[in-house]
Parts: sequence; C-alpha cells; structure tokens
Amino acid sequence: MRGHVSRWLTSAVVIAVLLAFIPMGYAQQKLKVGFIYVGPIGDYGWTNAHDVARRLVEQQLPVETLYVESVPEGRVEPFIDRLVAQGAKVIFTTSFGFMDGTVAAAQRYPNVIFAHASGFKRARNLATYMADFYQVYYLNGLMAGALTKTNKVGYVGAFPIPEVKRHLDAYALGVRAVNPQATIQVRWLQDWFSPPKAKEATQALIADGVDVFAFTEDSPTVIQESAKKNLLSFAHYSPMYKFAPKQVVSGELVHWETIYLDFLRKVLAGKYSADNLQDVDYWWLLAEKAVEVGAEPGMMINPLFVSRLKAATVKTADLGTLSVYDLVQRRIAQMSKNPVAFDPFAGPIKDRKGVLRVPAGQTLTVAELTSMEWAAPGVVGPWPGEP
Amino acid sequence: MGVVDWILGVLVRGMALGTPLLWGALGEIYAERAGVVNLGVEGMMILGAFFAFAAAQLTGHPGLGLLAAALIGGMAALLHAFVSVTLRANQFVSGLALSMLGLGLAGLLGRGWEGFPLSNPLPERSILPPLGALLAVAIWALLYHTRWGIILRTVGESPAAADAMGIDVALVRYLAVVFGGMLAGVAGGFLSVAYRPSWTEGMTGGIGWIVVALAIFASWDPLRAIGAALLFGTLFHLSFRLQAWIPPEPLQMMPFAFTILVLAIAARWGARAWRAPEALGLPYLRGER
Repeated sequence: MRGHVSRWLTSAVVIAVLLAFIPMGYAQQKLKVGFIYVGPIGDYGWTNAHDVARRLVEQQLPVETLYVESVPEGRVEPFIDRLVAQGAKVIFTTSFGFMDGTVAAAQRYPNVIFAHASGFKRARNLATYMADFYQVYYLNGLMAGALTKTNKVGYVGAFPIPEVKRHLDAYALGVRAVNPQATIQVRWLQDWFSPPKAKEATQALIADGVDVFAFTEDSPTVIQESAKKNLLSFAHYSPMYKFAPKQVVSGELVHWETIYLDFLRKVLAGKYSADNLQDVDYWWLLAEKAVEVGAEPGMMINPLFVSRLKAATVKTADLGTLSVYDLVQRRIAQMSKNPVAFDPFAGPIKDRKGVLRVPAGQTLTVAELTSMEWAAPGVVGPWPGEP
Repeated sequence: MGVVDWILGVLVRGMALGTPLLWGALGEIYAERAGVVNLGVEGMMILGAFFAFAAAQLTGHPGLGLLAAALIGGMAALLHAFVSVTLRANQFVSGLALSMLGLGLAGLLGRGWEGFPLSNPLPERSILPPLGALLAVAIWALLYHTRWGIILRTVGESPAAADAMGIDVALVRYLAVVFGGMLAGVAGGFLSVAYRPSWTEGMTGGIGWIVVALAIFASWDPLRAIGAALLFGTLFHLSFRLQAWIPPEPLQMMPFAFTILVLAIAARWGARAWRAPEALGLPYLRGER
C-alpha cells in the first residue's frame, strides 16, 4: 500500500518538475529583464515612473520584463535571486538603498548584467544610471521667482540628503536669479511618501506667507492643498497638472525609458555585456531628454501663466535684459545642447553662510553634485547636516 | 497677526487631522470596552479610504463614499471578530494581520484609481468634526447611562459574570467590533474624500497606529478622546510649524511617548482613571476562569 502511494507521488513530482520547465524553455527565446522597485507601482511617484518606463520598454523592444515591487532596501538580494532563478539576464535595481545588495549579487552572478539607479558603485557587470532634475528645478525656480507676490516661495522636502538638497539649491538659485529679494522657505518631511505630513507642511508654509510651492514627495498633496487657497505650485515627478489646472505652473517629468531603451538596445546589440560595464554611468539630464520641464507631457508651461512670465523682465549677465519667459526658453535651449552652454551651478556661488562653494569660471562635477550638503543663499529654515 | 490668531490657526489644523483620529479612536474605544483589541485600524482605515474614494468618484456623492467606507470598515472588522471571538485566536496577531491585509488589498484594488483628484470632495471643515464630538458624547452616554452600556462594559470587564447573567458575550463583542470597524472606515473615508482629497496607495501613512495609541491615551473614555485627538492632531501640525526651531521627530513621536507614559503611570500606581478593561485582549471561553 505504502509502496503504491510513494510510487504515485514520485511520478507526480517528476511530471510537475517537467511541466515547470516547459514554459521556461519556451520563454528563453526573449531576453528577460527584471526590475526591482522600492515602492508600490501605484505610488504616483518614483516607482510608478520606473514602471511606466518598463511597460514602454516591453512595447518597443523584443524583451520580456519581470518586476518585484515594495522591496525593503536592506533585503534586495533574495529578490535578485528570485529574478535570476526566473531567467532574468538583465536586472535593474531602482533605489539608492539597493546599492550594496546589488554589488554583492553582481559578484555572485557574474554572467548577469546589473544596473543600479542613483548609486555610485560599479563593477564589470554592474552599471549605474540616473535621470536628474537639477536643471529642471532651476528652470522652475526662474518661474517661481517671477510669480511670487509675497517674495516667499516654499519647498516641502522629503529627506535632507544630497539629492534633495541639490534640487532645492538649484531651485533657490533660479528663484534668486529672477528675484533677489525672495526667500525660499523649507520644511522637511523625513519621508518620501506621506500625504498627511505633506499636507501639514504645506499648511505651515501657507501660515508663513508662502505663495508659490515646489516639493519632493510622491503624491500631489502639496499641489492640492495650496490650490485650495489659490496658491501656485510646481508638480513633482508625475503628471500632476490635472490636480490643479489653474494653479500648477510647470514642474518636472522624468523619462526613465530613454535610459532603459538605450541601455537594452546596446545589450541586445552585444555592445554591453557582463564584462564591460565598469565605466558605464548614465547621468542623463535635459540634453538626453531623460527629464522634461512641465506638469503634463508636452506642456512646458501652463498657458494661464505665459503672459505673466512674458511681462516680468530680468537682467542677466550673459543675455542682457529679457522677459522671464524668454529667459526660461533660452536656458532650456542652452541646457539641451551637449555639452551644455549653461549650468545652474556655474560659479561664483557662495552658500547661505557666505562660504565660496563654486569658484568663478567653474562648474560642479557629478561627484560634487551628488554629495552636495550646503544651502544656497535665500534658503530659510532648518538644514540638517549643513557644513 | 497676534498670538491668539496663531493659536487659533494651529488649533484649526489640529482639528483637521484630529477628526479622523477621533472617529477612529471612538471605534477602537468602543470595541476595547467590550474586551476586544483591534490592531487592524490602519487596515480598516485604508480600506475605508479607498472605498470612500471609489464610491464618491463613481456616484458623485461624498456622503455615499463615507457610507461605503463605514460598510467596508464593518466588514473588515467582522473578519477580526470571527477570528478573535469565534475562533478565539490571539487578538493582537489577528489585528496585525488585518492591518497588513487591508493595506495590501486596498493597494491592489486601488490600481488605476491613482492620479485623479476627487471631482466632488467634502470640505475639510464639514459636518464630520462636530459630528465626531457629538458621537463622542453619545457613546459616553451610551456606555455610562444605558443598560446596553452596562452590558458592554461587563463583557469587557468580566465576560464570565456577563455570561452568568445570561448575556451572549460573543454577540456583544461581535457588535462592538463591527461598530468600531465602521467608525474606523469613516475615519479613513474622511482622509480620501475631505482631507486629501484623492486616493493613493498607503495614504493613511500610519494614522491608524496613532489611533490605537490614542484609545489608550484617552484611557478608553470617549470624552477624553476629543481632547486627546485635538492634542495629537495639533502636535502633528506643530512638528512642521515649529520646524525652524524644533526638529520634527520629537513632536511626531509625542503621541506614542505620551501613550507609553500613561501606560507606565497606570501600571506603576494603578491609577483608577487609567485602568484598562479587565478582560481586554482575552478570548472568552465558557467554563474557563
């Protein structure tokens, strides 16, 4: 009796194993690409943007994609193991906190191609990539400086880390380039995503007299909240124009697919392999079209604000006196060239304490940009880690 | 802009966040008075938030959204009641599981509902804040001045005695937990149809846990919950308002620090005013002592 059962079980297991292998053998014809996300794909921010890009990649290239969402930052390795076991030959890990786990996995799987977003550690089979917003924040700042009536613009920041500080500083430099009297009031959330915190931070800034808002938080809360008082705002990361069509001026949009498509085309063409990624680092900006100015794709500036921006004039050292609208257009054109003809962090720049941070005639290197801790002039508010 | 204006401004903000806190806490207090801890508040709230948003968006009536939130909150709580009352499983584990389940389920169902503002939201200063205060008074009167209140509290203090009196302990607990869940659902609904107003996955952002702490901090007293909710809401707002002078973390920790303090005082000095219902967290099995 027992013998019968075990024989029956054995054959069942054998059949199950065989069945399990059939779809894998079939699917291996297409390149399998895995994505590891730190948040849920519905976060309407960072992870959502990567997932939108993943779907575009799957439409445009002969690849099959897999993804895992909401992966805790310290525990990326088991998820990489899973994707490798599922046949992934290229794996994108899309959060800074995945860096060390990705480095370790890249050593264990020398034949798999890895790419890590926003980090700085590379290996022969591990590239890095980032689509950065600092130029776009500068452009948003130019507009904010022209549109504020109270001369107080606000910024709701996620964490006081170099990435957010760089964007905040670029924004502040833009504001001050147009409106030297304006201040940039800052509140920190200590969270990437927290609608309740973003809401109360916005309320606190409104109480301080701020009338134009920018932010780093993965929901449209700041826009919705400031719009209730008819105050202006700049969208962050996702198309948020529809949340306040009368108050959203512009914003930042990301196109991760430009990087993913470029990278994977080179993998498919055999240009990138698991042997030659040591120096592959994508730091893509406006010129590469990895980022876009606007709160809705294709709409750089909300038409409602064009006349006000055309009426405001500004004096610049290099372009003479012109309208803020024209200045924004000229700067976009300058920064869309490769190499760029203008950089927001072109010296001389002193920080808010008066320390010279960028000498005249120089700009910052990528390494200096990604480790920025100082606060630009005009920034008012707490600044943890200020040198 | 005088000091009075400043304080009034802060209190108005405190009330805005205090409203969902109060509704949630009243529900939790009600259930805990019958002896059932429900740590699933976060899950019930997020389900309430999603269903309220979806219903309000589809029908155009935020009131119907809140009704949907109450229903889903009650249904989620029914699950907790079944597991913890009928199956007599550990209430804490069941509640935690409900939180996870709610967050996951709401996230799954909410796919595709993100990225749209609610077309017809409820104003933040609507009927809900005063209604919450009225509800607190009503629940207080119910608990201390009605026969049902005595029954409910007896079930929470001494289910064996209640059983001996011929009270159906399981039924009372079911009703209390489900009603509590309905209030938690409304609290979540308030977030998505009035406070935000839109839907995003995980939008409750831990408010459910503040609610659990608040029920303890208010020492299971609905009237004290009014003041406690206002205090916690105000502290949360102040953590941003005062950020130029005080780092935000200590102020955001305050609700939990206060709660631990209250628990410690109650445990050390056995202060009567801060005593938990005797049978809180204990499943009841007839014949067991």
